[in-house]
Amino acid sequence: MSFDIDIVFRYGPLLLSGLWTTVYICALASLLAVAAGLAAALLYSLPSRLLKLSCRAYIEIMRGTPILILLFIIYYGGPSVGLTLEAETVGIVGLGLYGGGYFAEIFRAGFQSIPPGQIEAARMLGIPRRAIIVRIQIPQMLTLIIPPSTNQVIILVKESALLSIITVAELTKNTTQMVNETFAVVEPYVAVALLYWLIVEGIALAGGRLERRFGHAS
Amino acid sequence: MNDRTAGGAAEGKPVVLVEGVHKRFGPVHVLKGIDLAVDRSRVVCVIGPSGSGKSTLLRCMAFLDRYDEGRVHIEGRLLGYREVGGKRVLDSERNIDSVRSVIGMVFQHYNLWPHRTALGNVTEALRVVKKLGKAEAEAIGMEMLAKVGVDDKAHDYPARLSGGQQQRTAIARALAIRPHVMYFDEPTSALDPELVGEVLQVMQELASEGMTMVVVTHEMGFAAHVADEVVFMDGGEVIERGPPDDIFKRPRSDRLREFLDTWRARAI
Repeated sequence: MSFDIDIVFRYGPLLLSGLWTTVYICALASLLAVAAGLAAALLYSLPSRLLKLSCRAYIEIMRGTPILILLFIIYYGGPSVGLTLEAETVGIVGLGLYGGGYFAEIFRAGFQSIPPGQIEAARMLGIPRRAIIVRIQIPQMLTLIIPPSTNQVIILVKESALLSIITVAELTKNTTQMVNETFAVVEPYVAVALLYWLIVEGIALAGGRLERRFGHAS
Repeated sequence: MNDRTAGGAAEGKPVVLVEGVHKRFGPVHVLKGIDLAVDRSRVVCVIGPSGSGKSTLLRCMAFLDRYDEGRVHIEGRLLGYREVGGKRVLDSERNIDSVRSVIGMVFQHYNLWPHRTALGNVTEALRVVKKLGKAEAEAIGMEMLAKVGVDDKAHDYPARLSGGQQQRTAIARALAIRPHVMYFDEPTSALDPELVGEVLQVMQELASEGMTMVVVTHEMGFAAHVADEVVFMDGGEVIERGPPDDIFKRPRSDRLREFLDTWRARAI
Protein backbone atom coordinates (compact mmCIF):
# COMPACT_ATOMS: atom_id res chain seq x y z
CA MET A 1 0.00 0.00 0.00
CA SER A 2 1.34 3.42 -0.90
CA PHE A 3 0.65 6.76 0.72
CA ASP A 4 -0.06 9.41 -1.91
CA ILE A 5 0.78 12.68 -0.20
CA ASP A 6 -0.20 14.64 -3.33
CA ILE A 7 -3.88 13.97 -2.73
CA VAL A 8 -3.61 15.65 0.65
CA PHE A 9 -1.98 18.72 -0.86
CA ARG A 10 -4.53 18.86 -3.65
CA TYR A 11 -7.35 18.85 -1.14
CA GLY A 12 -5.47 21.16 1.25
CA PRO A 13 -7.83 24.12 0.81
CA LEU A 14 -10.90 21.95 1.42
CA LEU A 15 -9.35 20.44 4.54
CA LEU A 16 -8.26 23.83 5.86
CA SER A 17 -11.71 25.29 5.30
CA GLY A 18 -13.13 22.32 7.27
CA LEU A 19 -10.54 22.87 9.96
CA TRP A 20 -11.54 26.51 10.30
CA THR A 21 -15.24 25.60 10.54
CA THR A 22 -14.50 23.00 13.22
CA VAL A 23 -12.39 25.45 15.18
CA TYR A 24 -14.86 28.31 15.25
CA ILE A 25 -17.90 26.11 15.88
CA CYS A 26 -16.08 24.42 18.76
CA ALA A 27 -14.86 27.75 20.14
CA LEU A 28 -18.38 29.19 20.20
CA ALA A 29 -19.87 25.93 21.48
CA SER A 30 -17.29 25.83 24.29
CA LEU A 31 -18.15 29.39 25.31
CA LEU A 32 -21.83 28.49 25.37
CA ALA A 33 -21.08 25.29 27.30
CA VAL A 34 -19.06 27.15 29.94
CA ALA A 35 -21.76 29.83 30.29
CA ALA A 36 -24.60 27.29 30.50
CA GLY A 37 -22.63 25.11 32.92
CA LEU A 38 -21.72 28.03 35.18
CA ALA A 39 -25.30 29.27 35.18
CA ALA A 40 -26.64 25.82 36.03
CA ALA A 41 -24.09 25.33 38.82
CA LEU A 42 -24.86 28.76 40.30
CA LEU A 43 -28.63 28.26 40.16
CA TYR A 44 -28.13 24.84 41.70
CA SER A 45 -26.43 26.42 44.70
CA LEU A 46 -29.41 28.67 45.47
CA PRO A 47 -31.86 27.51 48.14
CA SER A 48 -34.85 27.19 45.73
CA ARG A 49 -36.05 23.60 45.24
CA LEU A 50 -37.59 24.36 41.86
CA LEU A 51 -34.32 25.79 40.54
CA LYS A 52 -32.41 22.79 41.87
CA LEU A 53 -34.81 20.41 40.14
CA SER A 54 -34.65 22.33 36.85
CA CYS A 55 -30.87 22.31 36.88
CA ARG A 56 -30.78 18.63 37.74
CA ALA A 57 -33.20 17.91 34.88
CA TYR A 58 -31.04 19.88 32.44
CA ILE A 59 -27.88 18.07 33.53
CA GLU A 60 -29.51 14.63 33.41
CA ILE A 61 -31.09 15.20 29.99
CA MET A 62 -27.81 16.40 28.50
CA ARG A 63 -25.83 13.57 30.02
CA GLY A 64 -28.45 10.98 29.19
CA THR A 65 -28.93 11.82 25.52
CA PRO A 66 -26.44 10.81 22.83
CA ILE A 67 -25.15 13.98 21.19
CA LEU A 68 -26.23 12.75 17.76
CA ILE A 69 -29.83 12.31 18.93
CA LEU A 70 -29.76 15.78 20.46
CA LEU A 71 -28.52 17.23 17.16
CA PHE A 72 -31.25 15.36 15.24
CA ILE A 73 -33.91 16.63 17.61
CA ILE A 74 -32.83 20.25 17.20
CA TYR A 75 -32.08 20.05 13.46
CA TYR A 76 -34.94 17.89 12.21
CA GLY A 77 -37.41 18.40 15.06
CA GLY A 78 -36.84 22.14 15.42
CA PRO A 79 -38.85 23.19 12.34
CA SER A 80 -41.97 21.40 13.66
CA VAL A 81 -42.01 23.86 16.60
CA GLY A 82 -41.10 26.81 14.38
CA LEU A 83 -37.38 26.64 15.09
CA THR A 84 -35.55 26.47 11.79
CA LEU A 85 -31.84 26.91 12.29
CA GLU A 86 -28.82 26.75 10.02
CA ALA A 87 -26.91 23.51 10.40
CA GLU A 88 -23.92 25.39 11.84
CA THR A 89 -26.10 27.13 14.40
CA VAL A 90 -27.58 23.79 15.40
CA GLY A 91 -24.03 22.52 15.80
CA ILE A 92 -23.03 25.38 18.07
CA VAL A 93 -26.22 25.27 20.17
CA GLY A 94 -26.32 21.47 20.32
CA LEU A 95 -22.69 21.00 21.30
CA GLY A 96 -22.87 24.00 23.65
CA LEU A 97 -25.94 22.79 25.57
CA TYR A 98 -24.60 19.26 25.62
CA GLY A 99 -21.23 20.35 26.98
CA GLY A 100 -23.02 22.64 29.45
CA GLY A 101 -24.44 19.60 31.23
CA TYR A 102 -20.93 18.34 31.88
CA PHE A 103 -19.48 21.75 32.71
CA ALA A 104 -22.28 22.22 35.26
CA GLU A 105 -21.01 19.21 37.18
CA ILE A 106 -17.41 20.42 36.93
CA PHE A 107 -18.36 23.84 38.31
CA ARG A 108 -20.61 22.33 40.98
CA ALA A 109 -17.71 20.23 42.23
CA GLY A 110 -15.58 23.39 42.15
CA PHE A 111 -18.04 25.36 44.26
CA GLN A 112 -18.34 22.49 46.71
CA SER A 113 -14.58 22.40 47.13
CA ILE A 114 -14.58 25.80 48.86
CA PRO A 115 -15.03 25.30 52.61
CA PRO A 116 -18.36 26.86 53.70
CA GLY A 117 -16.52 28.66 56.51
CA GLN A 118 -14.82 30.90 53.95
CA ILE A 119 -18.21 31.93 52.62
CA GLU A 120 -19.53 32.53 56.14
CA ALA A 121 -16.55 34.73 56.93
CA ALA A 122 -17.30 36.76 53.82
CA ARG A 123 -21.02 36.97 54.66
CA MET A 124 -20.18 38.24 58.14
CA LEU A 125 -18.09 41.00 56.58
CA GLY A 126 -21.08 42.04 54.48
CA ILE A 127 -19.50 41.01 51.19
CA PRO A 128 -22.35 40.60 48.67
CA ARG A 129 -23.03 37.18 47.16
CA ARG A 130 -21.92 38.18 43.68
CA ALA A 131 -18.58 39.42 44.96
CA ILE A 132 -18.16 36.20 46.95
CA ILE A 133 -18.62 34.15 43.77
CA VAL A 134 -16.36 36.30 41.62
CA ARG A 135 -13.64 37.20 44.12
CA ILE A 136 -13.53 34.28 46.52
CA GLN A 137 -15.04 31.14 45.00
CA ILE A 138 -14.14 31.22 41.31
CA PRO A 139 -10.45 32.19 41.72
CA GLN A 140 -9.95 29.26 44.11
CA MET A 141 -11.91 26.87 41.91
CA LEU A 142 -9.80 27.59 38.85
CA THR A 143 -6.88 25.33 39.73
CA LEU A 144 -9.33 22.55 40.42
CA ILE A 145 -11.58 22.94 37.38
CA ILE A 146 -9.03 23.72 34.67
CA PRO A 147 -7.91 20.09 34.06
CA PRO A 148 -11.44 18.61 33.73
CA SER A 149 -12.53 21.66 31.70
CA THR A 150 -9.66 21.15 29.29
CA ASN A 151 -10.76 17.54 28.95
CA GLN A 152 -14.32 18.57 28.33
CA VAL A 153 -13.36 20.97 25.52
CA ILE A 154 -11.26 18.23 23.93
CA ILE A 155 -14.21 15.83 24.05
CA LEU A 156 -16.39 18.54 22.53
CA VAL A 157 -13.98 18.95 19.61
CA LYS A 158 -14.02 15.23 18.93
CA GLU A 159 -17.82 15.05 19.22
CA SER A 160 -18.03 17.84 16.65
CA ALA A 161 -17.18 15.24 13.97
CA LEU A 162 -20.84 14.20 14.28
CA LEU A 163 -21.90 17.56 12.84
CA SER A 164 -20.93 16.11 9.45
CA ILE A 165 -24.10 14.03 9.66
CA ILE A 166 -26.27 17.14 9.81
CA THR A 167 -24.40 18.58 6.78
CA VAL A 168 -22.09 21.05 8.50
CA ALA A 169 -19.05 21.48 6.25
CA GLU A 170 -16.56 20.85 9.01
CA LEU A 171 -13.41 18.78 9.02
CA THR A 172 -14.99 15.32 8.91
CA LYS A 173 -17.63 16.27 6.33
CA ASN A 174 -14.98 17.73 4.00
CA THR A 175 -12.81 14.67 4.49
CA THR A 176 -15.71 12.43 3.53
CA GLN A 177 -16.15 14.51 0.40
CA MET A 178 -12.45 14.01 -0.37
CA VAL A 179 -12.84 10.25 0.06
CA ASN A 180 -15.85 10.18 -2.25
CA GLU A 181 -14.09 12.14 -4.94
CA THR A 182 -10.70 10.40 -4.88
CA PHE A 183 -11.63 6.89 -3.76
CA ALA A 184 -8.59 7.18 -1.49
CA VAL A 185 -9.27 6.24 2.12
CA VAL A 186 -6.01 6.14 4.02
CA GLU A 187 -4.64 9.55 3.03
CA PRO A 188 -7.75 11.61 3.86
CA TYR A 189 -8.42 9.91 7.18
CA VAL A 190 -4.80 10.02 8.33
CA ALA A 191 -4.62 13.68 7.36
CA VAL A 192 -7.82 14.51 9.21
CA ALA A 193 -6.72 12.54 12.26
CA LEU A 194 -3.54 14.63 12.33
CA LEU A 195 -5.53 17.85 12.06
CA TYR A 196 -7.81 16.84 14.97
CA TRP A 197 -4.73 15.91 16.92
CA LEU A 198 -3.30 19.37 16.26
CA ILE A 199 -6.42 21.08 17.63
CA VAL A 200 -6.51 18.82 20.66
CA GLU A 201 -2.83 19.39 21.41
CA GLY A 202 -3.37 23.13 21.12
CA ILE A 203 -6.18 22.94 23.69
CA ALA A 204 -4.13 20.74 26.01
CA LEU A 205 -1.23 23.18 25.77
CA ALA A 206 -3.47 26.15 26.56
CA GLY A 207 -5.01 24.24 29.47
CA GLY A 208 -1.58 23.46 30.86
CA ARG A 209 -0.58 27.14 30.62
CA LEU A 210 -3.72 28.25 32.42
CA GLU A 211 -3.13 25.68 35.11
CA ARG A 212 0.39 26.94 35.74
CA ARG A 213 -0.75 30.55 35.67
CA PHE A 214 -3.47 30.06 38.29
CA GLY A 215 -1.73 27.32 40.21
CA HIS A 216 0.31 29.80 42.24
CA ALA A 217 -2.62 31.39 43.99
CA SER A 218 -1.87 29.85 47.34
CA MET B 1 -9.42 44.57 86.44
CA ASN B 2 -10.63 45.73 83.09
CA ASP B 3 -10.04 49.34 82.36
CA ARG B 4 -12.84 50.05 79.92
CA THR B 5 -13.59 53.20 78.05
CA ALA B 6 -17.25 53.85 77.55
CA GLY B 7 -18.08 53.89 73.87
CA GLY B 8 -20.94 54.26 71.44
CA ALA B 9 -24.14 56.22 71.44
CA ALA B 10 -26.72 53.76 72.72
CA GLU B 11 -25.35 53.82 76.25
CA GLY B 12 -27.20 51.61 78.67
CA LYS B 13 -28.89 49.57 75.97
CA PRO B 14 -27.44 46.10 75.31
CA VAL B 15 -25.46 45.77 72.10
CA VAL B 16 -26.72 42.23 71.75
CA LEU B 17 -30.02 41.10 73.22
CA VAL B 18 -31.11 37.47 72.93
CA GLU B 19 -34.62 36.63 74.08
CA GLY B 20 -36.07 33.13 74.31
CA VAL B 21 -34.13 31.77 71.37
CA HIS B 22 -34.91 28.22 70.26
CA LYS B 23 -33.13 26.27 67.57
CA ARG B 24 -33.86 22.81 66.24
CA PHE B 25 -31.91 20.77 63.75
CA GLY B 26 -34.63 18.38 62.59
CA PRO B 27 -35.74 16.49 65.70
CA VAL B 28 -32.79 17.71 67.78
CA HIS B 29 -33.64 20.62 70.05
CA VAL B 30 -30.29 22.40 70.24
CA LEU B 31 -31.24 25.66 71.94
CA LYS B 32 -34.08 25.64 74.45
CA GLY B 33 -35.00 29.23 75.13
CA ILE B 34 -31.79 31.19 75.61
CA ASP B 35 -31.74 34.71 77.06
CA LEU B 36 -28.62 36.82 76.97
CA ALA B 37 -27.83 40.51 77.15
CA VAL B 38 -24.42 41.89 76.29
CA ASP B 39 -23.85 45.49 77.35
CA ARG B 40 -21.39 47.80 75.71
CA SER B 41 -17.73 47.18 76.56
CA ARG B 42 -18.55 43.99 78.39
CA VAL B 43 -16.97 40.61 77.78
CA VAL B 44 -19.25 37.61 78.00
CA CYS B 45 -17.69 34.15 77.87
CA VAL B 46 -19.86 31.16 77.08
CA ILE B 47 -18.53 27.87 78.40
CA GLY B 48 -19.89 24.36 78.46
CA PRO B 49 -19.26 20.82 77.26
CA SER B 50 -19.11 19.93 73.57
CA GLY B 51 -22.58 19.72 72.09
CA SER B 52 -24.06 22.03 74.73
CA GLY B 53 -25.20 24.43 72.00
CA LYS B 54 -22.81 27.28 72.71
CA SER B 55 -21.44 27.54 69.16
CA THR B 56 -24.95 27.24 67.74
CA LEU B 57 -26.03 30.07 70.01
CA LEU B 58 -23.24 32.28 68.68
CA ARG B 59 -24.10 31.33 65.10
CA CYS B 60 -27.76 32.19 65.73
CA MET B 61 -26.65 35.50 67.23
CA ALA B 62 -24.96 36.16 63.86
CA PHE B 63 -27.81 34.57 61.89
CA LEU B 64 -25.40 32.12 60.27
CA ASP B 65 -27.90 29.61 61.60
CA ARG B 66 -31.55 30.65 61.61
CA TYR B 67 -33.18 30.57 65.02
CA ASP B 68 -36.70 29.16 65.08
CA GLU B 69 -38.25 31.07 67.96
CA GLY B 70 -37.37 34.08 70.03
CA ARG B 71 -35.52 37.20 69.06
CA VAL B 72 -31.99 38.43 68.56
CA HIS B 73 -31.57 42.19 68.62
CA ILE B 74 -28.34 43.86 67.57
CA GLU B 75 -28.20 47.45 68.83
CA GLY B 76 -31.96 47.43 69.04
CA ARG B 77 -32.60 46.03 65.55
CA LEU B 78 -34.16 42.60 65.06
CA LEU B 79 -31.73 40.28 63.28
CA GLY B 80 -32.83 37.96 60.50
CA TYR B 81 -36.57 38.52 60.54
CA ARG B 82 -39.13 41.21 59.86
CA GLU B 83 -42.48 41.56 61.55
CA VAL B 84 -45.23 41.87 58.94
CA GLY B 85 -48.75 42.23 60.36
CA GLY B 86 -47.81 40.41 63.54
CA LYS B 87 -46.23 37.58 61.56
CA ARG B 88 -42.55 36.95 61.27
CA VAL B 89 -40.93 36.62 57.85
CA LEU B 90 -37.36 36.14 56.80
CA ASP B 91 -35.70 39.49 56.26
CA SER B 92 -33.99 40.46 53.01
CA GLU B 93 -30.32 39.70 52.65
CA ARG B 94 -29.59 43.41 52.43
CA ASN B 95 -31.29 44.11 55.76
CA ILE B 96 -29.62 41.16 57.44
CA ASP B 97 -26.26 42.44 56.19
CA SER B 98 -27.09 45.87 57.49
CA VAL B 99 -28.09 44.68 60.98
CA ARG B 100 -25.03 42.48 61.37
CA SER B 101 -22.61 44.99 59.89
CA VAL B 102 -21.64 45.94 63.45
CA ILE B 103 -20.62 42.36 64.28
CA GLY B 104 -17.08 41.11 63.70
CA MET B 105 -16.72 37.35 63.82
CA VAL B 106 -13.75 35.10 64.42
CA PHE B 107 -14.07 31.38 63.72
CA GLN B 108 -12.45 28.29 65.13
CA HIS B 109 -10.85 27.40 61.80
CA TYR B 110 -9.87 31.00 60.94
CA ASN B 111 -11.61 30.78 57.55
CA LEU B 112 -9.04 32.95 55.82
CA TRP B 113 -9.16 33.02 52.04
CA PRO B 114 -6.10 31.06 50.93
CA HIS B 115 -5.74 32.85 47.59
CA ARG B 116 -5.33 36.24 49.25
CA THR B 117 -2.35 37.43 51.27
CA ALA B 118 -2.81 38.34 54.93
CA LEU B 119 -3.20 41.96 53.87
CA GLY B 120 -5.53 40.94 51.03
CA ASN B 121 -7.74 39.14 53.54
CA VAL B 122 -7.95 42.21 55.75
CA THR B 123 -8.57 44.70 52.94
CA GLU B 124 -11.17 42.65 51.02
CA ALA B 125 -14.24 43.97 52.85
CA LEU B 126 -12.79 47.49 52.92
CA ARG B 127 -12.50 47.42 49.12
CA VAL B 128 -15.71 45.59 48.27
CA VAL B 129 -18.09 46.70 51.02
CA LYS B 130 -16.73 50.06 52.16
CA LYS B 131 -15.56 50.85 48.61
CA LEU B 132 -12.26 52.31 49.78
CA GLY B 133 -9.40 52.89 47.36
CA LYS B 134 -6.47 50.51 47.35
CA ALA B 135 -4.08 52.78 49.22
CA GLU B 136 -6.55 53.73 51.91
CA ALA B 137 -7.68 50.12 52.42
CA GLU B 138 -4.08 48.95 52.66
CA ALA B 139 -3.21 51.65 55.18
CA ILE B 140 -6.08 50.49 57.41
CA GLY B 141 -5.16 46.86 56.72
CA MET B 142 -1.57 47.40 57.83
CA GLU B 143 -2.77 49.23 60.92
CA MET B 144 -5.00 46.27 61.84
CA LEU B 145 -2.26 43.72 61.15
CA ALA B 146 0.14 45.76 63.30
CA LYS B 147 -2.43 45.81 66.07
CA VAL B 148 -2.44 42.00 66.18
CA GLY B 149 1.31 41.78 65.55
CA VAL B 150 1.40 40.15 62.11
CA ASP B 151 2.25 43.20 60.01
CA ASP B 152 5.58 41.59 59.11
CA LYS B 153 3.60 38.81 57.40
CA ALA B 154 1.28 41.15 55.48
CA HIS B 155 2.34 39.91 52.07
CA ASP B 156 2.41 36.20 52.91
CA TYR B 157 -0.36 33.81 51.96
CA PRO B 158 -2.20 32.11 54.83
CA ALA B 159 -0.59 28.75 54.08
CA ARG B 160 2.77 30.26 55.09
CA LEU B 161 1.49 31.51 58.45
CA SER B 162 1.34 29.56 61.70
CA GLY B 163 -2.08 28.83 63.17
CA GLY B 164 -1.67 31.63 65.68
CA GLN B 165 -0.69 34.09 62.98
CA GLN B 166 -3.63 32.98 60.86
CA GLN B 167 -6.06 33.47 63.71
CA ARG B 168 -4.59 36.89 64.52
CA THR B 169 -4.97 37.81 60.83
CA ALA B 170 -8.59 36.67 61.02
CA ILE B 171 -9.06 38.94 64.05
CA ALA B 172 -7.50 41.84 62.10
CA ARG B 173 -9.85 41.10 59.20
CA ALA B 174 -12.88 41.27 61.49
CA LEU B 175 -11.61 44.45 63.18
CA ALA B 176 -11.05 46.22 59.87
CA ILE B 177 -14.75 46.91 59.43
CA ARG B 178 -14.81 48.65 62.84
CA PRO B 179 -17.33 46.34 64.51
CA HIS B 180 -19.17 47.38 67.67
CA VAL B 181 -19.11 43.83 68.99
CA MET B 182 -16.78 40.90 68.34
CA TYR B 183 -17.90 37.26 68.37
CA PHE B 184 -15.29 34.59 68.93
CA ASP B 185 -16.28 30.99 68.21
CA GLU B 186 -13.73 28.80 70.01
CA PRO B 187 -10.90 30.88 68.57
CA THR B 188 -8.10 28.79 70.08
CA SER B 189 -9.55 25.28 69.81
CA ALA B 190 -7.80 24.48 66.53
CA LEU B 191 -4.43 25.83 67.66
CA ASP B 192 -1.37 23.99 68.87
CA PRO B 193 -1.09 24.58 72.63
CA GLU B 194 2.01 26.78 72.34
CA LEU B 195 0.17 29.16 69.98
CA VAL B 196 -2.90 29.67 72.15
CA GLY B 197 -1.29 32.37 74.26
CA GLU B 198 -0.59 34.83 71.44
CA VAL B 199 -4.22 34.76 70.33
CA LEU B 200 -5.59 35.10 73.85
CA GLN B 201 -3.26 38.03 74.43
CA VAL B 202 -4.65 39.88 71.40
CA MET B 203 -8.17 39.20 72.65
CA GLN B 204 -7.28 40.42 76.12
CA GLU B 205 -5.90 43.65 74.64
CA LEU B 206 -9.11 44.14 72.70
CA ALA B 207 -11.12 43.64 75.86
CA SER B 208 -9.03 46.16 77.75
CA GLU B 209 -9.61 48.70 74.99
CA GLY B 210 -13.32 48.43 75.64
CA MET B 211 -14.40 46.13 72.83
CA THR B 212 -17.71 44.42 73.45
CA MET B 213 -17.07 40.70 73.12
CA VAL B 214 -18.89 37.40 73.16
CA VAL B 215 -16.47 34.52 73.43
CA VAL B 216 -17.37 30.86 73.15
CA THR B 217 -14.37 29.14 74.63
CA HIS B 218 -12.80 26.19 76.39
CA GLU B 219 -10.11 28.48 77.83
CA MET B 220 -11.24 28.68 81.44
CA GLY B 221 -8.23 30.80 82.36
CA PHE B 222 -9.23 33.42 79.83
CA ALA B 223 -12.83 33.34 80.99
CA ALA B 224 -11.75 33.66 84.61
CA HIS B 225 -9.47 36.63 84.02
CA VAL B 226 -11.06 38.60 81.21
CA ALA B 227 -14.81 37.97 81.32
CA ASP B 228 -17.27 40.26 83.05
CA GLU B 229 -19.86 37.54 82.88
CA VAL B 230 -19.53 33.82 82.35
CA VAL B 231 -22.44 31.82 80.97
CA PHE B 232 -22.43 28.07 81.48
CA MET B 233 -24.50 26.09 78.99
CA ASP B 234 -25.40 22.43 78.93
CA GLY B 235 -27.98 20.54 76.89
CA GLY B 236 -29.11 23.65 75.05
CA GLU B 237 -29.89 25.63 78.20
CA VAL B 238 -28.13 28.24 80.28
CA ILE B 239 -27.55 26.42 83.57
CA GLU B 240 -25.74 29.15 85.41
CA ARG B 241 -24.41 32.65 84.80
CA GLY B 242 -22.55 35.25 86.78
CA PRO B 243 -19.22 36.92 87.42
CA PRO B 244 -16.25 34.59 86.85
CA ASP B 245 -15.49 34.41 90.56
CA ASP B 246 -18.91 32.98 91.33
CA ILE B 247 -18.91 30.58 88.41
CA PHE B 248 -15.45 29.16 88.96
CA LYS B 249 -15.19 29.36 92.76
CA ARG B 250 -18.78 28.97 93.92
CA PRO B 251 -20.67 26.87 91.38
CA ARG B 252 -24.26 26.32 92.47
CA SER B 253 -25.38 23.55 90.15
CA ASP B 254 -24.16 19.99 90.02
CA ARG B 255 -23.72 20.11 86.29
CA LEU B 256 -21.34 23.09 86.46
CA ARG B 257 -19.45 21.52 89.35
CA GLU B 258 -19.08 18.32 87.34
CA PHE B 259 -17.96 20.24 84.25
CA LEU B 260 -15.35 22.17 86.23
CA ASP B 261 -14.11 18.99 87.92
CA THR B 262 -13.66 17.30 84.55
CA TRP B 263 -11.85 20.30 83.24
CA ARG B 264 -9.55 20.53 86.28
CA ALA B 265 -8.79 16.81 86.11
CA ARG B 266 -7.78 17.26 82.49
CA ALA B 267 -5.77 20.40 83.11
CA ILE B 268 -3.37 18.65 85.47
